[in-house]
Amino acid sequence: MSTKVLVTGLGVISSIGKNVQDTLKSIRELKSGVGQIDLLITRHRGDLPVGEIKQTDEELKETAGVSSLKALTRPTVLGMLAAREAVEDAGLIGDTEGTGFISANTVGGMGHTEQYCLDYINKEKEGDFLEYLGTHNCGDSTERIADYLNIKDYVTTINTACSSSANAIMLGARLIKNGIVKRVVAGGTDSLTRFTLNGFNTLMILAKEQCRPFDENRMGLNLGEGAGFIVLEAEEAANERGARVYSELKGYANTCDAYHQTASSPEGYGAASAMKKAIEHAGLKVEDIDYVNLHGTATQMNDLSEGNAIQNVFGDKVPDVSSTKGFTGHTLGAAGGIEAVFSNLSISENILFPNLNFTDQMNELNFSPLKVIKENAEVINVLSNSFGFGGNNTALLFSKV
Amino acid sequence: MNNRLYISGHCRIKDNRVELNGEPVFTQKDSNFSEFIKALYRDQQFQYSKFFKMDNLSKLGFAASEILLRSIHINVKGSEVGVVLANANSSLDTDVRYQESIKDKTNYFPSPSVFVYTLPNIVIGEICIKHKFTGENALLISETFEADQLFDHTMSLFKDGKVGSCLIGWVDYYLDDYDAALFFITRDNDKKTNFESEKIKSIYQNWS
Repeated sequence: MSTKVLVTGLGVISSIGKNVQDTLKSIRELKSGVGQIDLLITRHRGDLPVGEIKQTDEELKETAGVSSLKALTRPTVLGMLAAREAVEDAGLIGDTEGTGFISANTVGGMGHTEQYCLDYINKEKEGDFLEYLGTHNCGDSTERIADYLNIKDYVTTINTACSSSANAIMLGARLIKNGIVKRVVAGGTDSLTRFTLNGFNTLMILAKEQCRPFDENRMGLNLGEGAGFIVLEAEEAANERGARVYSELKGYANTCDAYHQTASSPEGYGAASAMKKAIEHAGLKVEDIDYVNLHGTATQMNDLSEGNAIQNVFGDKVPDVSSTKGFTGHTLGAAGGIEAVFSNLSISENILFPNLNFTDQMNELNFSPLKVIKENAEVINVLSNSFGFGGNNTALLFSKV
Repeated sequence: MNNRLYISGHCRIKDNRVELNGEPVFTQKDSNFSEFIKALYRDQQFQYSKFFKMDNLSKLGFAASEILLRSIHINVKGSEVGVVLANANSSLDTDVRYQESIKDKTNYFPSPSVFVYTLPNIVIGEICIKHKFTGENALLISETFEADQLFDHTMSLFKDGKVGSCLIGWVDYYLDDYDAALFFITRDNDKKTNFESEKIKSIYQNWS
């Protein structure tokens, strides 16, 4: 029960890189992946910037070596690439006994459903497209990725909107602590679709320019796509095989705002409580935190709510904080997984990420996010925040071992 | 520290009947869910106007939680109360209603207030908003009432120190077919019913 949960593998794909090394390079070059839409078929091309991965489904399938497999959705293939990198990085390819796979996903097979829905209900039409009928649910990508990695012991899907993959990591840690599995590949995957783009657009929270998290003049978020997975491993299992360790997942917490069905509370009660509880769970003090990877979507509400929560937790001693959404856009169900990879890189590379496009501190707040990249930083304890619609707040705390 | 957990109380709503800890609370035969739940609201004097805006799944879960929680003295803070619910039909009942509202091109009315409920965990949100429960929560989807799954998930929250008390159970609704079975789990042993997977299974199955 009291085993430590260690992070022993990282995998990521997003608009700033097709793997961990690529991603780090883009971050060090301050290269944002947010730009104009080239692949997604939508009337918003040239109008709404997004963090799009510039490879077609076919190109991605080829990279993953699955060109011959049928009915693979974009989130499935993105997930395959990132999860495989994490498993490879951990040195566990071919050694997946006693391993679980928890994947978060919010969009499911919507990309193909919106392409084929009229054909589906047209009795006259038949063809290969019918293979995609079974891919609509969020669990489909999880099952396909688990098969790809030959993981059989415990496979499940989580959808709690934008906090999904942080919750996947939290569930993974619990499975290990309760002795159900010794390793878990946990994270999430999501791709851009018209459904998501139009849905967020009707909420009037999409920026027509590069997003500016925590800036007084922020204009909303940019959507993105990608996948991020980490390998969690029981300390004994990792030690036994001499695994390289990125960090210990020392604390985690999920809280409910109990404020409104969809909106988060302006004072950020649930967000503050998630951070406090994660710190307490880790047996640490507030002043032990070196860096907070913010949820920081750049919407009016999120940044106000999260900013108030940060002040509530840290008072006038706010540590270095930044949102990496300016690099990747908001990747929804993948965000917590991608940012868990970033948080681990922060610890292993001694690097603190800059908050892109920031100029003016918010009037309501007494702190600003990091404007520049910090190398050779002493990073011991990192908090990673993920907040979902409905006030589903999760904070993960990774610590240097 | 006392690590034992107990069932402080349980409430069941099914077949137009309500039972609290196995004792009858309210019955109304020969009415559909909407009539039944309205009659229950009046009979039990819930006095919570937001109730009427809720979808059927939320009304069902809210009503069961009200009746159960009124009977219990909760002696931990709201921030230490978790909620773990499960069901088979997710929010499908409201999904269907929402789809109905947009399928006719000439009578097209996608209502945001209905759309909100096309997520199953909104029932948890409604209960949490009413009682200011801000602990960890989850809604698990399984084909049938799985006592072991509910038990394991709840135990892991207690073991991890995430909750001091937990509202758990089954809340399922699809096309007038419904079933709610809620349990309140605590460290207080005043009722002396141990929290065990077998116990919640037998309470659930004991319905005639």
